Amino acid sequence: MKAVAIAAVNVRRMLRDRSNIFFVFVFPMLLILVLGVSFGRGFEPRIGLVAADPGPLGQDLVRELEGMPDVEVERYGSVQDLRTSVERGQLEAGVVVPEGYDAAIRAGQDAEVRYVARQSELGLQLSQTVRSAVAEQGQQLRAARLFVSEGAGSLDEGLARAGVVAQALTPVEVVTTTVGEERFPTRLGRFDLGASSTLLLFVFLTSMTSAVALIETRRLGLSRRMLSTPTSIGTIVIGEGLGRFGIAMVQGLFIMLGSLIVFGVDWGEPLGSASLLVCFALVGAGAGMFLGSLLRTEQQAIGLGILVGLGLGALGGCMVPMEFFSSTMATVAHFTPHAWAIDGYAELIRRDGSFVDVLPYLGILLAYTAVLFGLASWRLRRAITG
Amino acid sequence: MTTPVLECRDLRKAFGDLVAVNGVGFSVAPGETYGLLGPNGAGKTTTISMIAGLLERDGGEVLVEGAPLTTTSVATKSAIGYVPQDIAIYPDLTGRENLRFFGRLYGMTGDDLARRMDEVLQVVALADRAGDPTREYSGGMKRRLNIGIGLLHRPTLLILDEPTVGVDPQSRNAILESVDQLSAAGMAVLYTTHYMEEAERLCDRVGIIDLGELKAEGTRRELVSMVGERDQVLLALAGDLEGAAAACRALPTVHHVSTKDEHVELVVDEARKTLPAILEAVSDAGAAVRSVEVTEPDLEAVFLQLTGKALRD
Amino acid sequence: MRVALLIAAKDLRQRLRDRSAIMVAFVVPLGLAFVFNATLGGISTGGTSFRYGVVDEDRSQVSAVFVDDVLPAVQEGGAIRVRTVASEADGRRMVADGELSALFVVPAGFGSAVEGSDAARIRVIGDVDEPTGTQVARSIASRFAADLNAVRVAVATVAAPGETPTALEALVQRAAATATPVEVVDVNATTRELDTTTYYAAGMAVFFLFFTVQFGVASLLDERKDGTLSRLLAAPIGRAPILGGKLLTSFVIGTLSMGTLIVATSLLLGAHWGNPLGVALLVVSGVLAAVGIMSIVATLAKTSEQAGNWQSIIAVVLGMLGGVFFPISQAPGILPTLSLLTPQAWFLRGLSDLAGDTGWTVVLPAVLAMLVFAVVTSAIASVRLDRMARL
Repeated sequence: MKAVAIAAVNVRRMLRDRSNIFFVFVFPMLLILVLGVSFGRGFEPRIGLVAADPGPLGQDLVRELEGMPDVEVERYGSVQDLRTSVERGQLEAGVVVPEGYDAAIRAGQDAEVRYVARQSELGLQLSQTVRSAVAEQGQQLRAARLFVSEGAGSLDEGLARAGVVAQALTPVEVVTTTVGEERFPTRLGRFDLGASSTLLLFVFLTSMTSAVALIETRRLGLSRRMLSTPTSIGTIVIGEGLGRFGIAMVQGLFIMLGSLIVFGVDWGEPLGSASLLVCFALVGAGAGMFLGSLLRTEQQAIGLGILVGLGLGALGGCMVPMEFFSSTMATVAHFTPHAWAIDGYAELIRRDGSFVDVLPYLGILLAYTAVLFGLASWRLRRAITG
Repeated sequence: MTTPVLECRDLRKAFGDLVAVNGVGFSVAPGETYGLLGPNGAGKTTTISMIAGLLERDGGEVLVEGAPLTTTSVATKSAIGYVPQDIAIYPDLTGRENLRFFGRLYGMTGDDLARRMDEVLQVVALADRAGDPTREYSGGMKRRLNIGIGLLHRPTLLILDEPTVGVDPQSRNAILESVDQLSAAGMAVLYTTHYMEEAERLCDRVGIIDLGELKAEGTRRELVSMVGERDQVLLALAGDLEGAAAACRALPTVHHVSTKDEHVELVVDEARKTLPAILEAVSDAGAAVRSVEVTEPDLEAVFLQLTGKALRD
Repeated sequence: MRVALLIAAKDLRQRLRDRSAIMVAFVVPLGLAFVFNATLGGISTGGTSFRYGVVDEDRSQVSAVFVDDVLPAVQEGGAIRVRTVASEADGRRMVADGELSALFVVPAGFGSAVEGSDAARIRVIGDVDEPTGTQVARSIASRFAADLNAVRVAVATVAAPGETPTALEALVQRAAATATPVEVVDVNATTRELDTTTYYAAGMAVFFLFFTVQFGVASLLDERKDGTLSRLLAAPIGRAPILGGKLLTSFVIGTLSMGTLIVATSLLLGAHWGNPLGVALLVVSGVLAAVGIMSIVATLAKTSEQAGNWQSIIAVVLGMLGGVFFPISQAPGILPTLSLLTPQAWFLRGLSDLAGDTGWTVVLPAVLAMLVFAVVTSAIASVRLDRMARL
């Protein structure tokens, strides 16, 4: 009961500091919003298109280019803007359909479509898409050209004839299918993937920075005062730990429920989702306690807390999905509790797993908790009683 | 007649609806120590802040060595050494670094500054700890450095704002002694305090301030004579305290009566003559006298007389 | 000026003894740049090669063109690697295991179907997690199909009914030789993007800059709390040099922190900051903008704790919006534009411009933008600052 009292004081102190409210509650939601808006749609290469006054034939090409599958085509007003956007990485590539495209072809000349890209793999790869679209559109032009060169009539007659013929012919087709399990199912909302990693990042970060409060409690002699009351060290250790846990839980629940209500984030099966949060908050509490027991001054705790909190978050795949890591880094990532918790949420959210499916992850997180709490209470005992 | 080092007239300052200082004026002559005596919240620090040019005033004027001083008169401020009530030193700098920094702000440089720093460190007895960060100093050491910084540039007027608040008796004595020495060396000192003993011991003249107004000023003798040849009598009583007080109040030679705990405090004409009558009246009222204490009048009594309240509660 | 320098020198001495200032200005940003570089440095911004397999079940003349001519030609161009796979089952398994990005299957009978103008199809089997790889594979196959279709259409358009087989064969040859009148020409754009290492080094440096500069102006609040402000006001100096000293302190600490981080990340992480003069201009204007913004925040606060909290909030929000954690300038939608309301975004944009060009002048628009921030915010701050230097 006393431990709960100590924990309650911790949570109350956290909530009383108004800047905490921003960092604990407002900022995570803001981050989910920004991440969802900017990257939630997944990665679809963007290609810019400039086509100033291309004529009817050019219009056909523009339609063909705009219909390219699995790329996003954006119209640009000027070649200069297009080029700048490509250079800055806002576009993967750009296509310029020249002015007078129509006239050139009618005059029997070649038209030059320019493909602008940075020297990158993706730039080269996407050029295939553009070339394919151009070839697709060039079929009837080629037929019409042959028609003219064989002396059968004019270009327009040839085009008209080719159009009719193409309708009648069975074309050679390309059929595309996919295999494998989708890592990022398309049914997921744009906020769904970012939300769980943001949750983990912040729950851990808050626990780490609340190590400051632990040190302050000690520095102000409050721990000694508590010890002077009929309270055992064990109770204080558990209470301080519960304090970290309480803060992490308050924040975690807020992020979960808040993102559910505001952004409609899918958290998967509630029991599994909540138990992952509880176990991860326990890990965070243990880590915060350990850091707080290790350091002497608040400045150190603030600096190292942010460093460790953001650092482990990045390493554990909270900032960039682990799917993008090299296999070595993915192995290293699984030294962090974050990686296991993220795997757990992936099980729930992407594979529609249930509580039973996340049991192994819960076990791993509880093991982290046990180790961290053990280390922390051993250190804290020594720090308080000196 | 020599120009006073400090002359101020009709100083006024209000913070919103609260009138902190209301028409205070006085002057300090060269070599004179002037004490501003009043309880906490009387307006001492506000007055001093206006004199030192820290605070805009709503009205009145301040002349330092004949030159008008406002918050923006940079040159005139050189004449003043200001010692704030709080310990205003940088905790993360050493004693010497603190002195050097403020010395330079007053335009001191080179050998002159170095020599003067050594002198001041001697005066405030910090020479052996001058290289330590001041956060490692004891409370008394910080206080002494706080004063030392104000002396550094050889001001003609030293303003000390309650320099002994929260200081142990030993350090307090040292501070009072050094102020005495400075004054003896010809420096004009403006000293605020709510300790009557300090004002009595140090000050050539005292101004009594309460509720933002200067109630009276003069030498100790002049002030005390305002109370007349009246003495203070303290009776320790058992029995009907209120009855005894009422009986005393009825006597024509008793001017002021107040009760506290088991005591009745009286201001009376010539205690030696009136005491028998008082004792008789008290025992008639049904109270037994356990002890009697007679004190000659002091500034405390003057203050009580002027404001109807004690300096300290 | 002399007094302002004196005060700045005193403040700097204090800050250098202050562990939290050292942490924020040097240790934490460098540490995070390290961590980010270690975890995310391997992710190339330009993408990776796609690995394709091809199964030729047809073994006709037509399929040989695809397998032996078309695919090697694309591979020659770079960014894809093609290998022959024994069977479709093998290929499918390799795609499912992530060994291949996609598999081309040219089914048996493809060649004769093409020649006989019957329905013919090439199949592309892609990894569901590599949409772009699958898409590119489809494009390659489609282009081949388009070529075949073009010849078929051309021949059918021109051929007279009852043509002899020899004449028809000659017509097919002429049709195949007729080039499409539209040519796609590659234009290389310079890369004005930061590599991952430099991006995180720069992002962290400019993010923490906004924390670092707060040690200057906000210390006025400390001076008030500690009573030393009254001492400064009692000294024969004006208010302007006191404020000037504080601003100078912010500027010097900010510049010092940025400079140290630039050198350290260049040497330790191999970050490429670019043309030194350009970087210097960006740093100076960036620090000025940061000082201006943080000064406004400081003037609104009553205590230095309050100032610190507010400044953290502003620094974090501006940092996130300015793209110091993730490259928001490359995100779709309105955010990249919104992002330009922060000096952080301009700083990173200036650096990106430098990455594509060796001349320092490319940073001028970014420098100008940050100077506008600096001028506007300092103007607002100076009105309010004067109030701070009073009791």
